[in-house]
Amino acid sequence: MAKKENKKSLLDTLGESQVWKSIIRSGIPRTRRQRMHAILGSVFLHLHPARLPKHAVKVGYTWCMGGLSFFLFVNLTITGILLMFYYRPTVEYAYTDIIDLAEQVPLGIMRELHRWAAHSMVLVVWLHMLRVFMTGSYKPPREFNWGVGVLLMTLTMFLSFTGYLLPWDQLAIWAVTVGSNMARAHPFIGHEGPGASLLAIGDINLVHIGSDVRFALIGGRFVGEATLLRFYVIHCIAVPFIMMIFMAVHFWRIRKDGGISGPL
Amino acid sequence: MLDAFKNSVDYLSNPTISFSLLTVLTPLLFPPTDWFDKINRKLRLHLLWTKTGCAISMAVITFFFAVGFLDENFSVILTKADNFPIILMFYSIFFCTWLAMHKAYINDERLEKGLKPSEYNDPDDKVLVWPDLVYIEFIALILFTVFLVVWSILVAAPLEEPANPASTPNPSKAPWYFLGLQEMLVYYDPWIAGILLPIFCVVGLMAIPYMDINKKGDGYYSFKERRVGIFIFMYGWIVLWLFLIVLGTFFRGPNWNFYGPFEYWDAHKVVALNNINLSEYFWVKLLGTGLPDNILLREFVGFIVVGIYLFITPVLLAKTVLKDMVKSYGLVRFGALMTFGLVMLSLPIKMYFRWIFDLKYFVAIPEYFFNI
Amino acid sequence: MSDKKTIPNASIGSSAENSYKKPETTRRSFLSWLTVGWAAYIGVTGGFFTVIIRFLFPNVLFEPPQTFKIGYPEDFSSNSVDIKYKKQFNAWVVRDEESIFALSTVCTHLGCTPNWLPVESKFKCPCHGSGFRMTGIHFEGPAPRPLERFKISLANDGQILVDKTKSYKWEKGEWENPESFLKV
Repeated sequence: MAKKENKKSLLDTLGESQVWKSIIRSGIPRTRRQRMHAILGSVFLHLHPARLPKHAVKVGYTWCMGGLSFFLFVNLTITGILLMFYYRPTVEYAYTDIIDLAEQVPLGIMRELHRWAAHSMVLVVWLHMLRVFMTGSYKPPREFNWGVGVLLMTLTMFLSFTGYLLPWDQLAIWAVTVGSNMARAHPFIGHEGPGASLLAIGDINLVHIGSDVRFALIGGRFVGEATLLRFYVIHCIAVPFIMMIFMAVHFWRIRKDGGISGPL
Repeated sequence: MLDAFKNSVDYLSNPTISFSLLTVLTPLLFPPTDWFDKINRKLRLHLLWTKTGCAISMAVITFFFAVGFLDENFSVILTKADNFPIILMFYSIFFCTWLAMHKAYINDERLEKGLKPSEYNDPDDKVLVWPDLVYIEFIALILFTVFLVVWSILVAAPLEEPANPASTPNPSKAPWYFLGLQEMLVYYDPWIAGILLPIFCVVGLMAIPYMDINKKGDGYYSFKERRVGIFIFMYGWIVLWLFLIVLGTFFRGPNWNFYGPFEYWDAHKVVALNNINLSEYFWVKLLGTGLPDNILLREFVGFIVVGIYLFITPVLLAKTVLKDMVKSYGLVRFGALMTFGLVMLSLPIKMYFRWIFDLKYFVAIPEYFFNI
Repeated sequence: MSDKKTIPNASIGSSAENSYKKPETTRRSFLSWLTVGWAAYIGVTGGFFTVIIRFLFPNVLFEPPQTFKIGYPEDFSSNSVDIKYKKQFNAWVVRDEESIFALSTVCTHLGCTPNWLPVESKFKCPCHGSGFRMTGIHFEGPAPRPLERFKISLANDGQILVDKTKSYKWEKGEWENPESFLKV
């Protein structure tokens, strides 16, 4: 009996210690008040409200897909940073570095974790969209946040697409060749797009293979060294950075638009 | 027996047939009007959204993949590491659509009886996020991590030969989630399939909340109250996006020719693809004269066809069938809905013109890269 | 009060007496200064972004040479396609009955590299199935126009010189140009 009391008080002693209380002010979350404080007092958890309607915690309603999308984004950021320690974005080294990642680097599944998480993220984001559509959660006042979500989905796919080039194998270069050649056909600013040949001074075409939007995207006339570096930077820094801004807006607006949708 | 199954799948998966089947099936599964609903009930298709329906469909999908894995031709495609997400996609999208529709049907019945939707709880009866939600998130996170780790250990990430700009693999495929786009490129020029349609797709999705003025069905699964909206979404999502992905992954082989999933990828399969422009149909075949030199004269039929489709159709619809809709929607909203709707429909329309008439372009001005 | 007098003076740069007597002039000229200010702001910001966009376009490219020699006209038998130069220079050398010309290996659809199929006597693109005849004319699949031809000429040493910086498009009638083929 005495032993049991001792154990209980160990956690309590910990919860009442100065160190614990300096980190989590409300102590061990036991009472209703403490539990609400555990959410409100945490910079990460206070993305959530302290209390929710009952249906909002049911997996059958939310499918957990929004949360999983965010989890996968964090997961991809971490594995991505780890991969950057070993990967050099040059035509000379890229491919061999990828092989080394599987064969020489300890825990040789880091690239697998990154790649499969990326594929999953595309799927999970789609399913999140399906759930939001099927519950009609885009309806006022959540119209704007649905739009932000669509942009996030587009960015997710673009992120995945730019990452596809980095192993510098046949799969990568041809998928990106085909993809980036679509930019060639952009009206007016792609050199094979409608209207591009109208932008000319006399005989000199302003929009040609060395000056159009595709050239700016891949940094050359065809997918090569410059493209690899550009896609690497876009993939590792530019798009994740933009996504984080949109994610902040997305999460903020969930709360500001009245929290999770539900029947009235 | 198994061969008969394989042959019939190969036959049915031909884009002309499978796409038509899905196009007919979608309004029956998600009936937008009473008429479709009646047929749905008559054919007992609504039973798909029951638990038995789910079990049977899952079994059918599993059977299909099991046969696929044992088949020497299909297993080559299925066991490609990058195609595993597609198998996941089959299961997860079917299950999630089923779940949503299952719950929607339950709610529809409740609403008919005058009850609140099953998601409804007393607004004052709230639960605490700690621990109720945080724990669920924690468990979901752990389960998904385990899933990812197991997947990563079992399946190595694909790595092909080093990049070689001089030789294109045959067939050369984009990542699976872009294969819908790649499939569109067969029917439209890059500036439409690669730029215009994706932009319309993204902007159209963003515009959904502004075009759907139906206030019902907010915050719970329902079908009857929003059946037209759900039908349109499902047609775009399942037929024009997901199906095209499946088509691109499973049914496109060397030279981007069509191959049934159980068919051997014979790179020398000869398929005649002699496509003809509308201007050639009009001037050469109909009038028997040559193509005029003047570009605008040459292509005027195409311009008229496209013009009628994009500008006259909405006006006609607004004056006749959709008269009431214009009133409730207002002109701007109606115009937007028509624009997005017609652009979305232009894809299947072009596909059918290609399949039936071998039509290459409605308007063909390669001189200015302006082909529609 | 004296403060009120000096502040607008400093900002508009007009004489002290004027501004004090006609306060509406002050307001008007202040507004016009505001316009100038905003115009300058927009101009500078616009210029700044233009420079950033220009930054995306490299001045120097590290790509293989665009002009190369491919040997003597006799090396090529008639009615044949030479695929030797495909890998290094992205060009096919085709000889028909009366001429030799260099075809670009870039499919006019989406830039994949087609393959020469000698049996069917056509170039077939693996990406979306476009087909081109030996002449480069498209006849099947989604390609909107024929393959491009490069400038071809005889160098002083009698070898054939291909210059990829100039290309000729059929749909613009440029294949008539004598620089686009070599008579044999």
